[in-house]
Formats: sequence, structure tokens, C-alpha cells
Amino acid sequence: MDAVTGWWDDYFWGSMIVLQVFFFSLLLMVLFGLIGAGAKLSDSRVAQKIASAYTVIFRGTPEILVILLLYFGSAIALTAIVQVFNPDVKFVDVPPMWAGTIAIALIVGSYATETFRGAFLGVRPGSIEAARALGMSNLQTFIYIRIPEMWRLALPAFGNHMLSLIKDTALISIIGLNETFFVAKQAIGTTGEPFTMYIVVGCIYLGFSTIITLSVMGMEKFGARTGEGAR
Amino acid sequence: MTNSPSDALIQMINVDKFFGSFQALTKINLEVKRGEKIVICGPSGSGKSTLIRCINRLEEHNAGRIIIDGKELTDQVKDIDAVRREVGMVFQSFNLFPHMTIVKNLMLAQQLVRKIPKAEAHKTAMHFLERVKIPDQADKYPVQLSGGQQQRVAIARALCMKPEIILFDEPTSALDPEMINEVLEVMTDLAREGMTMICVTHEMGFARSVADRVIFMDVGQIVEEADPEEFFNNPKSERTKAFLSQILTH
Amino acid sequence: MNFDLSLVTESIPKMLAGIGITFQLMALSAVLGLILAVILLLMRISGKWYLSWPAQVHIYIFRGTPILVQIFIIYYGLPQFEFIRDSVFWPILREPFGCAILALTLNTGAYVSEILRGGVLGVDHGILEAGSALGLSARQKFIYLTTPIAARLALPAYSNDFISLMKATSLASTITLMDMTGIARTIVAQTFAPYEVFISLAIIYMILTWIIQKTFGRIEKYLSRYVNP
Repeated sequence: MDAVTGWWDDYFWGSMIVLQVFFFSLLLMVLFGLIGAGAKLSDSRVAQKIASAYTVIFRGTPEILVILLLYFGSAIALTAIVQVFNPDVKFVDVPPMWAGTIAIALIVGSYATETFRGAFLGVRPGSIEAARALGMSNLQTFIYIRIPEMWRLALPAFGNHMLSLIKDTALISIIGLNETFFVAKQAIGTTGEPFTMYIVVGCIYLGFSTIITLSVMGMEKFGARTGEGAR
Repeated sequence: MTNSPSDALIQMINVDKFFGSFQALTKINLEVKRGEKIVICGPSGSGKSTLIRCINRLEEHNAGRIIIDGKELTDQVKDIDAVRREVGMVFQSFNLFPHMTIVKNLMLAQQLVRKIPKAEAHKTAMHFLERVKIPDQADKYPVQLSGGQQQRVAIARALCMKPEIILFDEPTSALDPEMINEVLEVMTDLAREGMTMICVTHEMGFARSVADRVIFMDVGQIVEEADPEEFFNNPKSERTKAFLSQILTH
Repeated sequence: MNFDLSLVTESIPKMLAGIGITFQLMALSAVLGLILAVILLLMRISGKWYLSWPAQVHIYIFRGTPILVQIFIIYYGLPQFEFIRDSVFWPILREPFGCAILALTLNTGAYVSEILRGGVLGVDHGILEAGSALGLSARQKFIYLTTPIAARLALPAYSNDFISLMKATSLASTITLMDMTGIARTIVAQTFAPYEVFISLAIIYMILTWIIQKTFGRIEKYLSRYVNP
């Protein structure tokens, strides 16, 4: 493990990049998931079709392919757009971080779509009816009854989605994001100890996964405090 | 204390059962003779299910002795299997094997436990399905049958093992009212044929007509034990009276 | 920016040449992974800490780290050690194919083990009690009651994991294996036409996903025949 000594700083900053990607992709993932679920539950046939296509495409395609397509594809698209205004530009480089963040958010968002949809439908109609019968408005019912119930139903799957996101950040190294994986590759170049360097990466990810798992468990306990109906 | 097997089929001596710190059974003493029909009743949580579940060791008792047909229930696994072969059980929620047809439900334990050849097991299964009056359902799956039919299959499944005694754990509590009688009829037939039975049930009509003895339990103890005539017309304990007035005015 | 259809028709047959490798990776690691999953499951429910503990550690590690890291540790990492290079496993670990199979097996084994455990825990307790009351031994109950019922309960989740496995085979391209994704990346590097090539490949994978879903749907229907007859 002596070989790692000079590299802790780099691993640390690599971890910060993992966290940054995780954080932004988490926000986007929730957004995509909510939009997808909303579209699937809407009355519009077109919206339903688009949402179904979204989930079929992103759940049926390997993650690495989505990342590659978004990275190279967006670079080409952007280049084409820029060339309209300035024909001298040869190539526009898209930062791997943004292409990657959007890509993994799109992938996991397609799973979250089903989670959110299921949670929405899983709210017991009795609770809603009871709230109405007590004279609560639509908005009040939504905020005080539906959202808390949905949250409780969606939480276990949502925890898994967060784990997928953190693990998928590793794939972004393929398009050159300088996160921990990238650090390991550099370190191997000078130290010649691939096992050691990749094990460090594994440990970093294991640490992140553990933190996520523990926090979800904590939240589940909090959400299950009402007991009844928790499954 | 004599241990004559022909006389007492089941002996429970000072049996205690704890769930953690909660005492579910306290100093239970019970003797059941061959051919006897016992009905156990009492409020929910009184320990009546726990009592019969101790008899075939679905629950382990913590103190006292349970002797079945001369064999004492101990930690020895062999003994438990031998005892379970003699003791049939019918559950409140039927517990048929959902992934097997009715006739396979009846054949499985015969083949695995009693090592009976397939053809003979099938014959026995059909014989008992006829006795519970549903031979035509043999090739269906449990979910396709009504609750009353499922419970009759469960009784037939227990009978296929040729047990010395059958334990009934609230066999009609999960049934719709119109199906209760078809199950009670089968149980009454069994009683007439001399089967030894212990039934946990609130069907007081059944208790009156079939039971040799009625036992009333409360908070893990046997409160009162009497023949049905005596039990219903002249209960001694106040708790029994309160329970009977509740259940009979329903 | 225009979509070159001729490039699509050219590259699809080239990529399909790699479908054999994709299938081999998928089938081998699915079978080996299922065996591993069952072993891990039996270890976990054995009630013996010295069996259940290692199984839980395996599951924790392989579910808690990215599969890409696992592939790299096995392919690039293990040869760091001399004793590995001298061992009988070296002929397998030297090849990217062997490493990919090993990584995918260890990974899917961990996930599937948890899925199977969910199925086992989902078996109605009363059914097992009925088995006990009829005198069935613990082993007989596990074989004749728990296994068939748990298999049905676990199947939907298992089919999802199977699709994940199929998608994960594409990561073998990162350790120089020429599966469909590996070939596609080579074509893109030569032509720099990511849209045409990657979209065509995505469609191939989607068709595979669809076939897997349909197949498992059939199996599920068969196994559920006693639930909704």
C-alpha cells in the first residue's frame, strides 16, 4: 500500500468529482423520473407513448452505450450548430462531466419513472377519500396525504436508484472524466501496481454505497414510524 | 403417573410456554384418551392455539412434559418426526401447497414421509377426497377451490397420513358463513367414526353435539373443563360465564 | 449533420459478428452466477455464522462497487501478483474473456442471491408449517415447498437482473474484448460516426432485451399457472 502514499490527494479530488456528478445527476434523475411518471399517468396518449419509449430505450440499452452516444453525439451536434454561426470552428468539445451526468441521470431516471408511477398508484384510495370527506382541498390532500405516502412507498427503490447512480459514475471515466478511476489509471502508470490502485477505487465506492445504504435505512425507519401499511 | 398408551393418547404435564418474557401457557395439565373429542375455546390470545401447536411441536414448550402415544417430545429430531406422523393438523388458513394440484397435495407427504409408492398414494388420496366429497376437484389447484373446499382438502390431506389424532386450529374461522357447515359436517363424520380430535373452535353447536369434553382457556391457563352439558348449562367460573354470554348472544 | 443510412447497413453486420461473444458472456455468467447465487443463499440461510458471514461480505462488496471496478481489478489488478501468474488459474485470468466471465459471475451471483433470498423469505410461513405438521424434514420442505414457490416469487426480479447482466456484458469491451460494443467502438473510432453506429447497436440491444422479457414472461406465466388459472 506504500505505493498509494503520493496519490491520496488525487483520489480525494477524484472522489469530490464523483460526489459532484452524483449530486447533479440525482437532481436530474428525480426530475426525469417525475416527468416520466407524470407523463405515464397523464391523460394524453402522446405523453404516455413518449414516456414509454423513454423507459424502453434507456432500460434496454447498455449504460456505456448511452454515455458514449451522448458524449460523442452531443459533441457532433454542438459542432454542427456552432458551425452555422462560425464555419471556422472544427470541433466543439463537450465536457465529459456534463455529458456523463446527463447520461446516467437519463438512465436511472427511466427506472425512477416506474418507481414514482408505482408509488403514486400505490397510495391507498381510502386515505385520499377520507381526506376529501374531511373537507381537505385538492392541494391539501396532495401535500399532506399523497406526498408523504408516496415518499414512504418509493423510498426503498429510490435508495437502489441512488446506488445505481453512484456506481454508474465510474462508467463516465470511459469518456475521460478525471474521477477516481482516472486517478487510478495515472497512478498505475507510474507505480505499476494496478491491483492496489483499483482496490482503492473499490473502497471509495464501497464507502459511498455504505453511506447511501445507511441513510436510506435511517429514512426508512423514520418513514415507517407510522407502522401500519408499511410493507 | 401411569403411562399406559392404550388409555391416554396425549398427556401434558405442567407445560409452560414463553414467547420471550410473555408467558403463553401456564401449568397446562391435559390428558386425552384414545377416541376422545375435545373442544377448546376461549378469548383470542388465551393460548388455545399455542397449546395444540405444542402437541406437534410447531412450538416448543419450555417446561413440563408432553407425551404422545408413549413417546415424549424432546429435542430429539427423530422422535418429533415420529410423533408428527401420528398427529395430523388442520390450520385456520388451510395452508394447502399452492403449487400442487389437490391430489398431489394429498400424495406428497405419503410418498416422502411414509415412503408409499405413487400408485398406492394416489389411491389413498382419491379415497379420502371421496370421503370429504370432492373427488372431482382432484386435478385442480388450491386457488381454484372455495374456502370450504380447500379446508376439506386440508382435512383429507391430514387423513391420508392415517394419524392417531387430528388437531384442528380454528378450522372454520377463515370461512364465509355459508361454507362453515360443509366443513363441520366432515368433522362430525370423523368424530362419529371414532377419530381422536382436539378442536380449537368457537362453533358452540359443534361442541355441544360432538365434544366429550369442553375446555375453556384464558390468559394461558385452563380455567374450566367439563362435559358439554355441564359446560353450557352450568358453568362454574365467572370468566367462562362472561365468555359464553358474549359468544352465544352473537 | 446528417444520418448516413449506408453506414448503418454496413456496420450492423459487422457488429452482429460480435453477438456470439455477447451471448457467450451472457449465458456462461448467467449459469455460473446462478450456481454461485444458490451457494451464497444456502450459506446465508444455513444459520452458521462462519458460512453466512462470508456470503454477506461477498454480497456487500459486489453490490456496493461498480462492476467496471470489479472487471478492472480482476483483469488489470490480479496479474500484479506473482503467485497469481504462477497459479493454475492463470490461463483463464490471462485472457480478457475469462476475466469478464469471472467478474460478471461474481457480480450477478451477489445480486441474484439477494433476489432468491427475497423469494425464500416470501414463502408463506403457514405452508411450511403444514409441511412440518405432515412430518416433512427440513430438507424435504426446502426442496418440495420452498424452492418451487420461491422460484416463482423471484422470477420477475430475476428477469430484470438478467437484462442488467446482458447490458453489463458490453463492459467487456473495456478490457479489449471484441463483443458487439467493442466492435462498435472500433468502427466509431475509424469513421467518427457515433450516431449511426451507436444507435444501430442500441436497437440491437433493445431487441435482445425484448426477447429476454418475452421469454421470461412465458416462464412466469407457466410457473404462475396455479396462481391465476
